[in-house]
Amino acid sequence: MGGDQDKARFQDVVMPHLADALTLARWISGNRTDAEDILQEACLRAYRGINGFAGGSPRAWVLTVVRNTAYTWLMRHRSPMLVSIEDLSATESAEIELTDGGADATGLTPEAELIAKADAEQLKCAIAALPLVFRETLVLRDVQGLNYREIADITGVPIGTVMSRLARARRHLFKAIGAKKQ
Amino acid sequence: MTITSNTPMDPVLVHAYADNELDATSALGAAREIESSPELKAELDRTEALRTAIREHVAPEELPINLRTKIESSLGLTKPGNHPTWRALAASVVLALAIGSASTWFVTQQPPGDRTTTALVDSHIRALMAAQPADVMSSERHTVKPWFAGRLPVSPVVVDLTADGFPLIGGRVDVIATAPTPTLVYGRRKHIISVFATPDADGGKDAVRTVNGYNVVTWRSGGQSYWAVSDLNAAELQQFAQKFQAAS
Repeated sequence: MGGDQDKARFQDVVMPHLADALTLARWISGNRTDAEDILQEACLRAYRGINGFAGGSPRAWVLTVVRNTAYTWLMRHRSPMLVSIEDLSATESAEIELTDGGADATGLTPEAELIAKADAEQLKCAIAALPLVFRETLVLRDVQGLNYREIADITGVPIGTVMSRLARARRHLFKAIGAKKQ
Repeated sequence: MTITSNTPMDPVLVHAYADNELDATSALGAAREIESSPELKAELDRTEALRTAIREHVAPEELPINLRTKIESSLGLTKPGNHPTWRALAASVVLALAIGSASTWFVTQQPPGDRTTTALVDSHIRALMAAQPADVMSSERHTVKPWFAGRLPVSPVVVDLTADGFPLIGGRVDVIATAPTPTLVYGRRKHIISVFATPDADGGKDAVRTVNGYNVVTWRSGGQSYWAVSDLNAAELQQFAQKFQAAS
């Protein structure tokens, strides 16, 4: 299947970014086993569509393919409700204010020291519990180190939306790990 | 993004500020506002604390060799001569015994452009097998740079990337194609990164490639080619390369 040229192109464009792709798939799907399935399917798609890569950032292109594959995969294997973005507008339109977003029900303000002391388990659970769109945005930025422009391209939303999703995602995490009563 | 208003700053912008996503003018304004507002300052502190915690505890996934192999074979990417099969590996052992060096065999199998890369990856692997990955172990660049100056005619740029999560571990001298070469050693979590500096003619453009499972990122600076080699994932290694260039 495919010519040697396609193979060489795939080696150059896709292969260096497989670990990155696996990371995104792992956080979108929620587990490593599903992520490996998604990655294999994504590679097949990327290989078939390698001529659609028109330059630009290979990493962003690969991550876009993986993200699309992961969403299709979730639709197919899980309840569509989980993937539905119906409730998103409500979550997203909510004003981000320091007063309500920063403190939890007890009125405690999350402290930086407490956040800094969070352990791996705590962090991973808190990230896994984020709504999907917040989770992928946070992972792309804080785990994978992409900039807003790249994240906007990959997730298909304006930069402003990336910025507010990121702020909301972090607010959720502040609450989850930064305001526990001692 | 530019902030243009006299109204109180939107807290969301604290995040953009922390992420270095504001233009210079806006960043300056944001810094001033944050400084004068305890609430915004607390938000910035939390954001930075979270970022550090994630960097320390939530590592990107590593690609297992068997998954890579599975993907390559499912797409028909493996062909004889492209990757060593067990037969070729067995042959290499025989040759290694005969010639005394396995790397010689690999080197002669490759086009000239890749020889340097392979030699560098070999040096990196040797360093990982040694008791210490560096000959001078120091996180202090003012110790590492003079150490090279006493041994080589050209000493490399030594930058401090501790704040970016890439602490300096030390330096060593490798011999690449009979030429003594300065090598810097940095860390990232448990990964070791070797940074080689070679004469400019050897280098490529800013490029990522994978050699025997190790990622290699190349760039040019100040008449020399720099090569970062590590088992660290390509994205973080590229990030390292960017930080290194920015700091040098």
